[in-house]
This record gives sequence, structure tokens and C-alpha cells, in this order.
Amino acid sequence: MLRKLDPERIGLLSEYCLGRFGIGPERLEDYKWYIGSKNRVYIGPEELERIRPESIGICIFRLDRTPKPTTNFLQLFGRYATKNIIDIQRDEAIEYCNGKNLDPDSEPDVDPGFVAVRYKNRLLGCGHWDGNVLKNQIPKSRFCKLRFL
Amino acid sequence: MEAFQGIRQEIIERYSILADNPTEFAKSIRSPLKQSFRINTLKGDKEIILEQLRNYDHGIAEVPWNDNAYVSNLNNLGNSLEHFVGQIYIQELTSMVPPLVAKDVIADNTVLDCCAAPGSKTTQIATMMQNQGHIIANDCRHVRLKSLRGNLDRLGVTNTTVTLRDFKSFPNTEADLYLVDVPCSSEGTIRKKNTIARMWKENDYERFSKLQKGLVNKACEMAPSGSTILYSTCTFAPEENERIISEIIGEQSVKLKSIEINGLKTSHGITEWRGEVYDREVEKCIRIWPHHNDTGAFFVARLEKC
Repeated sequence: MLRKLDPERIGLLSEYCLGRFGIGPERLEDYKWYIGSKNRVYIGPEELERIRPESIGICIFRLDRTPKPTTNFLQLFGRYATKNIIDIQRDEAIEYCNGKNLDPDSEPDVDPGFVAVRYKNRLLGCGHWDGNVLKNQIPKSRFCKLRFL
Repeated sequence: MEAFQGIRQEIIERYSILADNPTEFAKSIRSPLKQSFRINTLKGDKEIILEQLRNYDHGIAEVPWNDNAYVSNLNNLGNSLEHFVGQIYIQELTSMVPPLVAKDVIADNTVLDCCAAPGSKTTQIATMMQNQGHIIANDCRHVRLKSLRGNLDRLGVTNTTVTLRDFKSFPNTEADLYLVDVPCSSEGTIRKKNTIARMWKENDYERFSKLQKGLVNKACEMAPSGSTILYSTCTFAPEENERIISEIIGEQSVKLKSIEINGLKTSHGITEWRGEVYDREVEKCIRIWPHHNDTGAFFVARLEKC
């Protein structure tokens, strides 16, 4: 069951997007925000009367102790991100899209926490940098054995 | 494999009489289709994405009747980076036709996709709308919603509400376009690999026909005056195509509109089949034959609510 997300939490999540990734609130202001089961946050169109939706728009966050951005969110809005992005190489991209964690040779210039993982200007999705390892956050259902890249 | 050959032969025997060139028709049914795709411009610029793809697929061919359709030399584009990040969607060329037929009523409007999973046309329409307007994507089977949701997520579609309902009991909803792309015997997909692997039974036509009639009836009943109803199938069977439309225009307050897509060779709907005679208006429907454009087969009718 989806319900409207309260304005206070919308404000906090917008601030998080700006603070963590540099994605400005104007990128998200045209959407309606909802929260569903397992604290998943969605953005999408206005809900319709008399129609019970299974889902609206796309899921952009899962709220836990801190907001966890989804791979879908970063694949769509990551092009506007200006910070906390980790660029990886071809072989690493193959591993990453297949669900593996990465152990970069050189320490990336990012703050520990959730990051956007990028290969050749394409946003692959979400990762978690703990200072040593880039932990894979791509959902299992999206794992892919890349052959062409 | 043997079952496949049998199905192909039965299709050839049943429909050669309707084809303008039975030899070419039979030849095309026996030859496999190349993989085709479209670019998802919600996730980037078309020319840039094409340039990336051409790095490893040097034989990408454009499609003369659709400015966002391409044929690949590869048969596993699903393993490409562009597919992973949602920049392309693998889709049979004829499956892209219904949204093109209703191009003029799609922009910024409300679209109700009655049988949406797995979301090929839903995501195509969302791309055409550039995520503006509103799409209601319905399907009646929970298991199919997973693939629908997966495709909407991968392609970054944000203007869609997903619903799980038997469309025949869907609450009355005003929309500008009702897309009724119904479940069918799917004979037109025979050129795709691993398709219609089940045994093909003559009585499926009647079973599908009853279901299809119920679905398009419901769309016509809830549609407001002036709105558009698109009916489509991927089968050759007149029982699931012209018969349904002939009955609908006799029973509902709707009229058929002519369809033309520049560069796409089509034939008009038929008015007679195995002793049944259909309303002559059904000639305004289009049939897409595999041997005309080197594609699968499709049937499309465009109706307007009076």
C-alpha cells in the first residue's frame, strides 16, 4: 500500500541528494513522492482516484538508518551527480555488473557511504564505499554477464 | 524442434490463401528474425548511444518506417552495457507499430495500457511522452508484473502507475488512449526463437477470441467520446482480428479510422474467412505480413469513440 510521503521527509531526502551527490532539488521537484512497504520511497505521477496501484513511478530510496539510493535512481539521475562518484575500468565494470565487490587499486576521492558507480560516462548503479572495498549494491535481479561494452 | 516445424507448416497451410505471395510468405515463416531494438531517449541522446553500440556492432541497420528502430547483427544484445543501463530495449519491429499508429494522441496525455506486461509498448509510449503525461499500466497476472516493473525500472520510466486487475472489472477510467494489446495465439512471433513452443491447437482461437472481445468491449464502454482505442494482436488468425473488430463496430458506439505508416508495407483487413463475412469497414485495419518488411506479423485496428 502506497501513501504520500510527508513534506518534511521529502525535504530531508532532497537535501541528501544535494549533499551526497550534488543532485539539485529542481531535478526532483516535478514528481509526487510516496512511501510503500519496506520503507521504499517512490517518485511518480499524481495518484488516481478509485485505482489501487501496485506501484507508482520508480523506487528511488529505501529508508533505513540512512537513506539508501537505488540503482534505478542513480542510473536515471546519476548524470546530474557531481560528487561521490567512483569511476571504474572495463574489467571492473564486468565484475561489478555481475554482482561482485571491487577492491580498487587506488583510493577513490569519495566520502565513505553510498556512491554512484560509473564506467565511461554510464552510471552503472549504486555502491557502498567503506574506505577499503566498494560493496556491490546492484539488486540480484539486475546482475548481468556483460559481453559488449 | 520437430514440433516447431509442425507449427510452422500448419501456419503456412492455414494462411497462404490470405497472403499475396504464398511462396515468399512460406519462405519468411521458415527464416529466423534478426534481433531488433529501439533507443530509450529517457536515458541519453540517440546518436551518442548509437555510436557506442557501433563500437562492437558494426552492422546496425536503420528501419525505414520507424526513426527509432534498429536491426542488430548480434543476437545477444541483452548482454550489452547499453541494455544493462536501460539505454536500449530489445523489441520485435512490429511490436513497435501500435504506439506509432497513435502517435498523435500520445503526447502529454493519459494512456491506459490494458494488458501491459512485459511493458514493451508501455516503455515505448513513455519514451515518446518523455516521461510526461500519465500511463496506467495494467495486467491481470501478478507473475507478469515482475517483468513489467523490471522493464519500467531499467528504462527509468517515472510517469506510470502499475495496477493488477482483470481488465474486465477495471474501474471506469477516463483516458485519451486505450491500448488493448490483447493476449493472442501469437502465431506472428513464430520467427522469433523459443516462441510459441507450446503445441498449437485449433480451439485456441475460440478461447482467445472470447477473451479479446471482453477486453476491447470494456475499453469501448469506459472510453469517453473522442478518445482512441487501439486494438492489436500478433496473430494471423481472423477469428482474433477482423471478427472481433467487425462485431465491436456493430455493437459499440465506435468508428474505425484508417491507418498509414510511411514506408511500412501493410495490407488491409480481410472481409471473409472460412464462411464468415465481416463488415467492410474492417478493411481500415492493417495486417503486417512477415514477407513484406522482414518482420513478425501484426494486426492493428484504430477505433474512435463516438
